[in-house]
Amino acid sequence: MRQKYPPLIALAAILLLIPVSYCAGIPAPAGPAAVVAPQSENAPPVKLPNKSGSLKFAVLGDFGTATQREYELAAEMAKFYTGFKFDIVILVGDNLYGAERPQDFKAKFEDPYKPLLDAGVKFYGALGNHDARAQRYYKPFNMGGELYYSFKAPNEKVRFFVLDSTYPVPEQIDWLEKALKDSSDDWKIVYFHHPIYSSGGRHGSDMKLRETLEPLFIKYNVSVAFAGHDHFYERIKPQHGIVYFVVGSGGQLAVGDILKTDLTAKGFDTDQAFMAVEISGDKMYFNTISRPGEVVDSGIIERRIPQ
Amino acid sequence: MMRGVNRSAMPNQMSRYILRFVVVLGALTGMVAAATPKAPPSEAQTVAAFKERVKEYVALHEKLEATLPKFAERGTPEQVDKNQRALGALIKSARSDAKPGDFFTPGMVALVKRVLGEVLSGPAGKTIKASIMDENPGVPKLVINERYPSSVPLSTMPPEILEPLPELKGELEYRFIGRRLILLDTEADIILDFTGNVLPQ
Repeated sequence: MRQKYPPLIALAAILLLIPVSYCAGIPAPAGPAAVVAPQSENAPPVKLPNKSGSLKFAVLGDFGTATQREYELAAEMAKFYTGFKFDIVILVGDNLYGAERPQDFKAKFEDPYKPLLDAGVKFYGALGNHDARAQRYYKPFNMGGELYYSFKAPNEKVRFFVLDSTYPVPEQIDWLEKALKDSSDDWKIVYFHHPIYSSGGRHGSDMKLRETLEPLFIKYNVSVAFAGHDHFYERIKPQHGIVYFVVGSGGQLAVGDILKTDLTAKGFDTDQAFMAVEISGDKMYFNTISRPGEVVDSGIIERRIPQ
Repeated sequence: MMRGVNRSAMPNQMSRYILRFVVVLGALTGMVAAATPKAPPSEAQTVAAFKERVKEYVALHEKLEATLPKFAERGTPEQVDKNQRALGALIKSARSDAKPGDFFTPGMVALVKRVLGEVLSGPAGKTIKASIMDENPGVPKLVINERYPSSVPLSTMPPEILEPLPELKGELEYRFIGRRLILLDTEADIILDFTGNVLPQ
């Protein structure tokens, strides 16, 4: 009797050793993104390589206030652009606060960012809770009339997925899953307004949205996600291998709103800020620049690579 | 003779009695039917009727929108604003008799309250409500066919709330303003209907 079972046990053991994902035809989850950043306040910031042919972009959120500070940060972006020609700016929502009359589009967007618009920099909008839905028809936001969409970056193998986090209907989630699954791009970058990780005292992490989105990000190899809503800058420690940023610091500012949590890798809530990002091959370099032009955070992210 | 007379009179008298009985019975039946309250429509009927009204509205929206330049052709804020206001005015005119409860009938309000009660009493209820009420102070007065108040941020609509509510078509969305649920035409930026305070405190 004893001799009948060892072959069956051996077969079962072999089957158990085969990864479940292989059996199901699903690629194994990607490894974690790795972040290298200066370890002390006095350490020099990581320099953007500014390579020819790389993808260069800026990240801006919660900016459309028409305040002096919005204009000053916009001027700093234009100044930075002279030495770092970013092709696009991704907007993480709350593009216009309050009224959205034609004169508001001018005062809150077209005038402050005129040098960039004139230079041919393309802005790609996501909608926040302060944004009227008709903004999707506003040509300079390049949304093509859609509330959620994706677009391929002009350089490198990068695709952006832009979500409408205020109204996550099941169709949108289905669309996202399909779009992520169909993308063969090396870098999958998602952005939307409500952060699923944030140390903000006013808003903080949107746990419901996290439950919905995070499993897809993990499964389909998203490396980086940007959000806004909380009015400061925060880089979150990698979560399940994904790096999250909160960049709601473009105009509105919640001074001292970053609570002390284990999430924060770096926080900045004392002035307006935007991000300048460069992707070259498997590396993403980033600088976060404050209104007075100081680099308040920097680092290098290695993309997630399927195991 | 008497018997003979009686015999011949009997059918006539009987017919009269029967006729009177039928008339009285009919009247009583009618009275009872009128006095009995109508059974409320089932939730399935309520949803079907709501969807039908939404369908009719979307048809109206599309018909009116077809008279304006296409949204996709717009680009400048002036064009977007002009078309949005023009569409809003056409809809307002076509729905000049619109009133609260056109979409959110008592049956729909009951459904919304049931959904909210179930979702918010669940383990994630507190988080879901916090998400809805984030930057959502409400406004003192809502008016049918008026533009969405530009100073009021749009509430987040968690998927747990959207899924059990009847699916909307076209450019319509559910949103909360304070504790009231509204039906919003996002393209015309006008409020089509709203409930009373349906979100529990």
